Amino acid sequence: MAKKKLAVFTATGCSACENSVLDVHFQISPVTPWADIAFWPYVTGSQWQDLDHVDRIDLCMFAGAVRTAADRKAALKLREKTRIMLAVGACSAFGGMPGLVNLAAVRDEGNSAGADEGIDPALPGTESRVSALSQIVDVDYVVPGCPPPKNLLWSAIQALLCPGECTSRISYAASRLPERISQCITSGILPPKGGTFAGEKAVCASCSRVKEEKKFRSAFRPYAIDPDPGRCLLEQGVLCQGIATREGCGGLCTAAGAPCRGCFGKAEAVYDPGAKMVSAVTSTFDSANADEIEAMSNEFVDLAGTLYRYTMAAQCALPVGPAKDENDAGDVL
Amino acid sequence: MNRFEPRIIAFLCNWCSYVAADAAGVARLTQLPNVRVIRVNCSGMVDPSYVMKAFADGADGVLIGGCHPGDCHYISGNIKTLRRSFLLKSLLRELGVEDGRFRLEWIAASEGPRYAKVVNEMVEEIRSLGPYVPPQRRSAKGAA
Repeated sequence: MAKKKLAVFTATGCSACENSVLDVHFQISPVTPWADIAFWPYVTGSQWQDLDHVDRIDLCMFAGAVRTAADRKAALKLREKTRIMLAVGACSAFGGMPGLVNLAAVRDEGNSAGADEGIDPALPGTESRVSALSQIVDVDYVVPGCPPPKNLLWSAIQALLCPGECTSRISYAASRLPERISQCITSGILPPKGGTFAGEKAVCASCSRVKEEKKFRSAFRPYAIDPDPGRCLLEQGVLCQGIATREGCGGLCTAAGAPCRGCFGKAEAVYDPGAKMVSAVTSTFDSANADEIEAMSNEFVDLAGTLYRYTMAAQCALPVGPAKDENDAGDVL
Repeated sequence: MNRFEPRIIAFLCNWCSYVAADAAGVARLTQLPNVRVIRVNCSGMVDPSYVMKAFADGADGVLIGGCHPGDCHYISGNIKTLRRSFLLKSLLRELGVEDGRFRLEWIAASEGPRYAKVVNEMVEEIRSLGPYVPPQRRSAKGAA
């Protein structure tokens, strides 16, 4: 059987997702009988020309948001060659932190994310707004996270690259995946298109902390409080976004006392992550007095940047940022 | 003449504000016809997501009408709405939705005239703000 071809690429991002792929470690070696790395600039130093010698990529792991004209071209080019496009990480899945640039359009009207012109040496021009991969090309599957945990990455690689063939098939990741996807992995067929390799419920479902009556009088930023171990962070006044965020991570951050930052994007049943968090946070205010409530509400700074930290570009119900500009794409690659 | 007619979604509680709206109609008070009323059992069930969705789907304004504090049919539903309103307003402001577009009002069942007044005021205020367009869709590119 012909070996499959794997491509890995990061657009606008920090490459931590690629490190996460490397972190799969000794487990990545069982893949090599089934797949060759055809394109992976970060690790093998591939050039864009190398893609021309490849007929078809079977699995492309695309990390990073689309911020520059070069990113857009890369996304289009890889999509053209690729059978299965996998968005890896929060940036590629929903815009990630680079997506917060879009807020600039609201904060000072007219002075937005800003395309830079006439800079020498010529840099790839920035587009007027940051997009998630799915807003540019068709995406088949998603692995969220910042960066994605390696068990989820590994289950995605197994499910998409060597369904039913890999010798080291695992079940530990499958137990956290939505039932349909885990069934597909264990029976060796491709999961339904559009699937997300993560849980379905909210992070609270896998968080180990005890949740009691949620009431607080004052909100704390994470550095300002040493939270009680074992008690829900939100009820101690820390803005933990677990309640609006998709699970799959196993509640790693909350277990260590850090509030959830929402890197898995919104949970399946949530309409808008910010609105959900507003509802969750305000229901914990221990007051019925309008002035007191207003004062408590004013303690929160940078609401949009906090509640949509990873999801501004793709999951915010009220699209923010300047209109997409078709002329943005320059000739860069 | 091409005058901008705002579309306003009003979530009115079954026990007070909706009755007030009814009373305003029966009393033949003049009201501007820009409001689409959605009757809810309690203003406390209006999740911030509903407000967000209304704006996302093309509303120019959202009004939530509830019983006066202390009068809630379900004891404290309107207090829940009150708690949400300030933070929701701040979030909407940061996302580019002007303050006047979202309003929470206490309107008792007997306050038909007040309902008509609130609606008329809100319509005029939003008419002066213009249609709500998410920043991304505003015509000119903000960049460079």
